[in-house]
Amino acid sequence: MIGKSDDIIIKTIARIFVPFLQLYALYVIMHGHYSPGGGFQGGVILGASMALLLITHGYDELKRRLPEGVLLLLGSLGVLIYAGIGLLCLILGGNYLDYSQLSVILGVDAAHARSLGILGVELGVGFTVMAIMYSIFFDISTGGILPEDQRREGRVEGER
Amino acid sequence: MNIFFVAVGMGLCALVFLVLYRAIFGPGVFNRIAAISAVGTKTLIILLIIGYVYNRVDMFIDISMVYALLNFIGCIAAAKYLEMER
Amino acid sequence: MRLCRYFLYPTQPGVIEAMEVTLFIHAADDAFRILENAKAQAVGLLDTATRLTSETRWMEEKKLQTILKGAHETRSGIQSFVITFVMLMGFWALLSGKFDAFHLSLGVICSLIVAYLSHDLLFANVRVGDGRVIVRRFLAFIPWLLREIITSNFYVAYLALSPKMPIDPQIMRFKTKLESDISWVVLANSITLTPGTVTIDIADREFMVHALDRKTAAGLDTGEMEDRVAHIFMEADHIYIQDVLDVSRIFAELKRGM
Repeated sequence: MIGKSDDIIIKTIARIFVPFLQLYALYVIMHGHYSPGGGFQGGVILGASMALLLITHGYDELKRRLPEGVLLLLGSLGVLIYAGIGLLCLILGGNYLDYSQLSVILGVDAAHARSLGILGVELGVGFTVMAIMYSIFFDISTGGILPEDQRREGRVEGER
Repeated sequence: MNIFFVAVGMGLCALVFLVLYRAIFGPGVFNRIAAISAVGTKTLIILLIIGYVYNRVDMFIDISMVYALLNFIGCIAAAKYLEMER
Repeated sequence: MRLCRYFLYPTQPGVIEAMEVTLFIHAADDAFRILENAKAQAVGLLDTATRLTSETRWMEEKKLQTILKGAHETRSGIQSFVITFVMLMGFWALLSGKFDAFHLSLGVICSLIVAYLSHDLLFANVRVGDGRVIVRRFLAFIPWLLREIITSNFYVAYLALSPKMPIDPQIMRFKTKLESDISWVVLANSITLTPGTVTIDIADREFMVHALDRKTAAGLDTGEMEDRVAHIFMEADHIYIQDVLDVSRIFAELKRGM
């Protein structure tokens, strides 16, 4: 079970790193159409920042910051954004994910609409990848046993 | 100047193979983790040199930053895993 | 001197009494002059000590009081939120390099999200003091560290390349006088960055350092790096100020006695 780390160096470095790491991940997602990266890569970095926080500050701290319900919500929301934009293009008379059709709604020319559509899709991909990545890491690390369950059953392990 | 950077990159590639020896045959898991971490740092510099040679440093610097961050987190995760195993 | 002569060569009783009084007056005069000298010297010392810590002097009295106690604080929510937001926005501008309205608004939104998620991480344990002094001293610390890294780099290369390989690996422990986690981390990372020495662990304010050679271990044992790190984070200053305050209390009592 992942508990609080008692290593001061790792803890402090993680404490200072994590905000910048998260901002960098959002930068990678948002600038996917200019520079390398995109939704998937940014989502992985965001998930990695969550994993770093989990390793160093423990499960309770992370749960206070980002509850599991919100994580599931983000994951589903990403899929919804992706499929929604695709279906919107389908409804507007183009192919699935044919972004240039969005120019009718957004009121800009086709090239700009394509850029904005890609941005939206990448946002959705990034959220989903972050949530799923973090969930996989968390499930593997705990072996499916949540700290709440352990506490309820009264067999809390010592801090590691 | 380009020649110089290419030469430095080749030298670093050779050093990566030297470290890879320790990663494959190294006695114990700690040697392996340290070796993989060292390979990561060398890859970072090689990426930057490639970016300089192709005149696209602005792109490659993003990649190398991601590489460094993931290397750091992977190293810590492996260390934490070993700590839990004990 | 005169007192000694009097005790060694006693003469008649009547003369003795008169001489005794004058001699005692002289002796008291001498003692008083010596005390005055000592006081002047002490005041000079006090002045130099306060001049040494004058960099921390120009802060407000209240802050000075908290520094004297070596206090740590957690910044209030709004303050840390704003500071984190500004720092993240600067970082975004550095990364993005695009300054049109669209990208800047994206940056503002992203910075707000991240600042909301993790504004209490960055300033969890801030030492009371002036941030500008810390930044300036940290920048002044970097060239010294670079010089140290380069010199010990050559030394370790010599150790590794010489055919006999005269290494003598050893683990040394030392208690540190640093107080905040950030200064521990700066010291530990400086030790690790310097070739030949690696910080293994910090536990109960005790550093565990692996040194490659007796010379590198001795170089670490002088504690120069620790002093410099303490200077960056103003950790030792309050000890010096406390010393000065203690001494001044003693002087006040001396003065009252005189």
